[in-house]
Amino acid sequence: MKFDFSGRMALVTGGGRGLGLAIVQALREAGARVAINDRTSAMVADAILRLGGGEGLMPAPADLAAIGGPEHAVTQALDAFGGLDMLVNNAAVNIENPIEATDDALWDLHLDVVLRAPLFTIKAALPALARAEGAIVNIASELALHAIPNNVAYVAAKHGLVAMTRALAIELAPERVRINALCPGTMDTELMRECAEASGDAAGYYRAFAAYHPLGRIATPQEIAGFVLCLLSPAAAFMTGSAIAIDGGSTAGRRWEG
Amino acid sequence: MSTLRRVLITGSTRGIGQATAERMAQDGDEIILHGRRADEVEVAVAALGGRASAVSGVSGDLGDRAAVARIADEAGDVDVLINGAGIYREMAVGAIDEAGWRETIAVNLTAPWLLTRSLLPGLRRRGGVVINVASDAGLIGFAGGSVYCASKGGLIGLTKALAVELAPAVRAIAICPGPVETDMMRQAVSEAADPQAARRQWNEYTHLRRVAQPHEIAAIIAFAASEAAGFATGAVWLIDGGVTAGRKV
Repeated sequence: MKFDFSGRMALVTGGGRGLGLAIVQALREAGARVAINDRTSAMVADAILRLGGGEGLMPAPADLAAIGGPEHAVTQALDAFGGLDMLVNNAAVNIENPIEATDDALWDLHLDVVLRAPLFTIKAALPALARAEGAIVNIASELALHAIPNNVAYVAAKHGLVAMTRALAIELAPERVRINALCPGTMDTELMRECAEASGDAAGYYRAFAAYHPLGRIATPQEIAGFVLCLLSPAAAFMTGSAIAIDGGSTAGRRWEG
Repeated sequence: MSTLRRVLITGSTRGIGQATAERMAQDGDEIILHGRRADEVEVAVAALGGRASAVSGVSGDLGDRAAVARIADEAGDVDVLINGAGIYREMAVGAIDEAGWRETIAVNLTAPWLLTRSLLPGLRRRGGVVINVASDAGLIGFAGGSVYCASKGGLIGLTKALAVELAPAVRAIAICPGPVETDMMRQAVSEAADPQAARRQWNEYTHLRRVAQPHEIAAIIAFAASEAAGFATGAVWLIDGGVTAGRKV
């Protein structure tokens, strides 16, 4: 599907790589100007380089886990564009650990990046988004809808993000700001490749995740990014407060492998 | 009950927690009450003492991690952990500050997590149960409730994650009450510009046209913790008078 975001301005958090980078690229191809947030200036500069240069791309580096980080990212976007039509809260951390090995710091990191950062990013961007009658997409996860073992902080934080999305949908509806949560399954990102290699059996790792999804494969970041654009576009003008699974069927049910 | 179970209930000096303590004491469990203030815990322990086989109390602010660690320590091994304590602060997104965020997330989401982790060895040994008192607000949104909803949605996620990881040793269930007639609600109603209208609004909010009594929630919590519910884990049980089922036009 083709979308036209000419003249529109977006901020994508965690836009330096993976799904975030794919969203930035898709928005840019659709004509939008995009502020790219990631943790460091170097990561953002690298992303801009990978996208072939600066036209329409603005750096907005900030550590979203830090106090003041979300506000700093938004300020850079607003300084660059003078307004904001679209916000994609994509930045996340996902560090798997059994419950007993999940210490306070790891718990806090997940809650800060996955829950706190989107809320304070939205708060900072809200006056501009309200002026634009803009749209927000929170990138949740299939793990916002169900759970797997050894990921308790991530699962709790992502469930919270969907609940927060619903609350904000009700609260922001009178200002004509839409907000939806997208719940993707596993994607073939740099992070996935790193995890696969770290596992010692990269092929087996990929096979396991492909089999986990009933469609028998993992997603490309590009196909998820396409859906993000749909949610940001007038095609989704009547959508707000939704949590949409795009997970190859992983949350739909189970097959009996007898 | 065949044996005396040890049950820690946070936020049990009033409201749903207190009703749950009364109910489970009647069922013959050993109850460890918890409240933020020591004097309120003392009163609650004295009030329940006559009716229970064994009652003790622990006190402390669940927003303070050192206090949470001490509470777990003082409680010792338990068969049932009921995370009943919660706070609600209405905040429009534009008015949320760091302190408001931290307080709600700490009490409603992080404290249940910390208590579960601290008490886990005992829960595993005893084949225990964790009951998290979430809310309909974990499943549907409310204006001014983004932090509260995030905390309760997170609590539901925590429950599911505990269930899949700790099975078969430990069960975990989330209970989602709708509006309940607690001190908290009575106070909000009495402070409203038109208390009668506020009361009517609460009643009409549910399809059953009334709010729940704390004992109705307590009964479901007690059942969730019992052997009769032994196949239920990772479940999210609504007791909301139909609020989340749908709307009338």
